Amino acid sequence: MKKFITHYLAGALLLLLFANSTLADTSIYSIRVDGLACPYCAYGIEKKLNQIDGVKFMDMDLEKGIVTVEAKDTTLDDQQLKQLFQDAGFTYRSKQESVK
Amino acid sequence: MMPLKKAQISALALFASLLSLPALAHDPVFGLGPHVLFKGGIEIAPEVHISKAGDDKGTELGMGLTYGLTGDWAAGIEIPYIDQSDASGSSSGQGDLTLFTKYRFWREDSPGLQESMTVAFKLKTESGDDEVSTGTTDSILGLAYGYEGRKWYRWTALRYRFNQEDDAGLRRGNKLLFDLVGGIRLKQTGYREPDTVWLLELNGESGQTAELNGAELSNTGGTQWFVSPGIFWTKRNFAVKAGVQIPIASNLNGIQQETDYRAKLVLEWHL
Repeated sequence: MKKFITHYLAGALLLLLFANSTLADTSIYSIRVDGLACPYCAYGIEKKLNQIDGVKFMDMDLEKGIVTVEAKDTTLDDQQLKQLFQDAGFTYRSKQESVK
Repeated sequence: MMPLKKAQISALALFASLLSLPALAHDPVFGLGPHVLFKGGIEIAPEVHISKAGDDKGTELGMGLTYGLTGDWAAGIEIPYIDQSDASGSSSGQGDLTLFTKYRFWREDSPGLQESMTVAFKLKTESGDDEVSTGTTDSILGLAYGYEGRKWYRWTALRYRFNQEDDAGLRRGNKLLFDLVGGIRLKQTGYREPDTVWLLELNGESGQTAELNGAELSNTGGTQWFVSPGIFWTKRNFAVKAGVQIPIASNLNGIQQETDYRAKLVLEWHL
């Protein structure tokens, strides 16, 4: 009986961990940024975004002035993004968020 | 300090001409641009300058370190190693250490375009080996404007160098430098792809006559103009800048060696 309970608890724990990882929110942020003219100068944006816990991926479309960020269990708010892009040397305009 | 010979004064003038404010990121190769560095960012920039003016030849190896204090303000240090020769011989050693700062006081961002203006200051300390040091603490003040789009670039800048008098009574003339630069990115690439910008600079220099114990040295000072083709190649956080200064007009006082060429290669990492 003791062995059965141990196995049951271990299984329940694994199920809980699996459910937690698959149900976690992954958000895709599409951020409009002005001043993006050259890729080299924009490296500071990548560095600053990657310092945020939960940011899993980022990319930039310099032609459209769009920075795309994939973040898990993290909310990026306007004030935070405004400061981040100011520190990187660019101007934050707006963001759109969708859930993956 | 050893007495100054004509060739030494000439060599001092040659290497004084290599002093410039650091070029950050997408700045011109020889001129001053408005770029700073992102807050908390570190730039490591080893570079080499080569110069030839008649019998006067020089190579300067430098290491620049820059830190982004804010998104609009950067400061750093440069440590050069100089090897120079002229008709009277050659010398080499650690050059004068310099401290610099740049502050971007205006920036206008729009989609795919950034315009900005920066004020810059550099202090060259009297810290190098006697053989290659100017023996003075000099300063440079600069003002730069830049227009940077996805295809076209243009910059303009003014710099003024204030030279002090050394222990032997030699005071090199102050110098005014002017830059007008255009650039083009022929192919617009993505963020993680290699990116190339071609540059063409017009660099002007006007130097006052030097003085030795208050007496003007007639064979010093004057005006020179250069056309300088260059390239700026980058991939993500790594950049290579290279260019050659070719003299197109010269009005030097008295008898002086005219510049044959100057060349510059810079590697940059943003960390």
